[in-house]
Amino acid sequence: MADKRHRVPARAVPPTGSRDKLAFLLALVPWLLEHDRVTVQEAAAHFGVSEDDIRSSVSLVAMSGVPGSTATYQHEDLFDIDWDAFEQDEIAITQHVAIDDAPRLSAREAAALIAGLQYLQSLPENADRVAIRNLVEKLSRGASSTPSQLAVAGDPDSEVLGLVRRAVAEGRRVRFAYLNSRGEREDRDVDPLRVESIDSDWYLRGWCHLRQALRTFRFDRMSDMIVTELPIEHDAAEVRLPDTLFEPSAEDLEVTIEAAPEVIGLLADYIPDGALTSEVGDRIRTTLRVSHYHGLKRLIAGMPGTVRVVAPDQARRAVAEWAAAGLARYA
Amino acid sequence: MRGYAQRYVPGGDNANLERQFERDKDDIRELGVPLETIEPLGEPGDNHNLRYRIPKGAYELPDDVRFDSDEIALLGLAAMAWREGSLNAESRRALVKLRALGISADEPVLGYAPRLRLRDAAFEPLTQAIDRHQIVRFDYLKPGEERARTREVIPLALVQYDGRWHLSAEDLATGEGKTFLLRRIVGKVTVGKAAPERPGDHTARALAELDEVWQRGVADIEVRAGSDAALRLAHRRGTEEVAPGILRVHYVDLAILADELAGFGPEVLVVSPSQLRAAVIERLERTVADHG
Repeated sequence: MADKRHRVPARAVPPTGSRDKLAFLLALVPWLLEHDRVTVQEAAAHFGVSEDDIRSSVSLVAMSGVPGSTATYQHEDLFDIDWDAFEQDEIAITQHVAIDDAPRLSAREAAALIAGLQYLQSLPENADRVAIRNLVEKLSRGASSTPSQLAVAGDPDSEVLGLVRRAVAEGRRVRFAYLNSRGEREDRDVDPLRVESIDSDWYLRGWCHLRQALRTFRFDRMSDMIVTELPIEHDAAEVRLPDTLFEPSAEDLEVTIEAAPEVIGLLADYIPDGALTSEVGDRIRTTLRVSHYHGLKRLIAGMPGTVRVVAPDQARRAVAEWAAAGLARYA
Repeated sequence: MRGYAQRYVPGGDNANLERQFERDKDDIRELGVPLETIEPLGEPGDNHNLRYRIPKGAYELPDDVRFDSDEIALLGLAAMAWREGSLNAESRRALVKLRALGISADEPVLGYAPRLRLRDAAFEPLTQAIDRHQIVRFDYLKPGEERARTREVIPLALVQYDGRWHLSAEDLATGEGKTFLLRRIVGKVTVGKAAPERPGDHTARALAELDEVWQRGVADIEVRAGSDAALRLAHRRGTEEVAPGILRVHYVDLAILADELAGFGPEVLVVSPSQLRAAVIERLERTVADHG
């Protein structure tokens, strides 16, 4: 299969929906109570939101409360803050009601974290299985109801992960044999920068000394990895990795295809932004961008009956010849 | 619940307000905040004077549920895996709540960017139906069948196995346990009435069942030395070389393996089983015909 292109969404954005806002307030209050006097800047840094988010949230908290026995709000039923200090961007809650503890997780929140942990259970950081079990058990107890029935079986190559982690810790390069998607096999010396994954596919991103450039390597195309004695030249702190796993290049080829609507999602990584799509009968016609036909023919032959290459002729023939060669083996 | 009383019109039509109130209650419950209903003394069944409160002890994290900075770092990664799709909001909210505890995460030695995809439109309605114990109905296209058939099931668990999402469910008519691939669900999932309770660890059972199917499913594939197929099939979990150039691979779903093998073109030759061999040949013929 050809290399997958992938876009990573922008950095975490401040909570916008009403549920997110409420969850944020419920978390902010106990933290503020725990910390007595903090600055707006400190709170923003801890929660990873903007200073304005903190200011507006604190103002909102200061006007909230719980109705007392008369079902109306008396002064003691409301939160209050040190307003003079708040002018100076300092937060101090002077009066509070009810919510002074960290809130429980919802069933879905706990389930998302538990399934995420399962997915990552082969990471070297998770080698201590007992610790992970305890963590899962704590999350279950920290949920307001039984966590949703959700699970992910994860099994990345833990040997490669272990070697890469050791190389990073020791500041040394890894060396491995790599078979690229054109079928060429070469030895690569790489400064490892980051490990990424999409479902069951795992990738190493690093500085490739052979190509003198940032490259992405699929775990299942690497073999014979060792940690070398050579020091790295680039580390993760200094290199800014592009957000996309595979960068489009000017040499990319464009191919017109017709696909069944249900498989368009599987091709999303190859469809460039702003590609024109139209309906042709029960099929969707659109454009794919691929780095070469070696990848394309594998991709298309692996989705038989659901995607058809329409143009150019050369691409269509590459797919037909690949499938015919496969068929010839059974003759 | 401040604000509803002010908007209530005595004797007027408050249907919108009541619907809003019901939605807000659901929202609050799904945030993990338990709500108790209190009926006024002496007026059972009179829901005009119902009051709601958050019971003490059910709201806050138990005292012994605390996390150290290593654990917070791991939970950060676990949450990051969901940054695409419908569980993104949930996992972010979970982290925000845990931040209330005031622990900051250790910077990991090696940076990770894990990602779980939720491309199947059926995922969201199915998780909700599982949480709310509701029956679902959907059209399902089995490989080899011409037409999708409608299924009505009690959804029990969603599990990702070999990178694909599966629904474990109980067939409503026969009571049989069934596993469905989400990508074969055609069209919309319709959520129906309340489902009978089915207690148990359905995720563990579903994963164990898929593992059994995977253990039983073996295919012998002849691979061209040094090819992409040889390397990648050898890297698959559980693959062994049973003879020079012959790999024995495990699979859950014959149709999916046949698609994958067809993609390898002349680099592979299916030795056994014959059903898989026929399926690969059929796929290659189809591709040749479509591109002739």
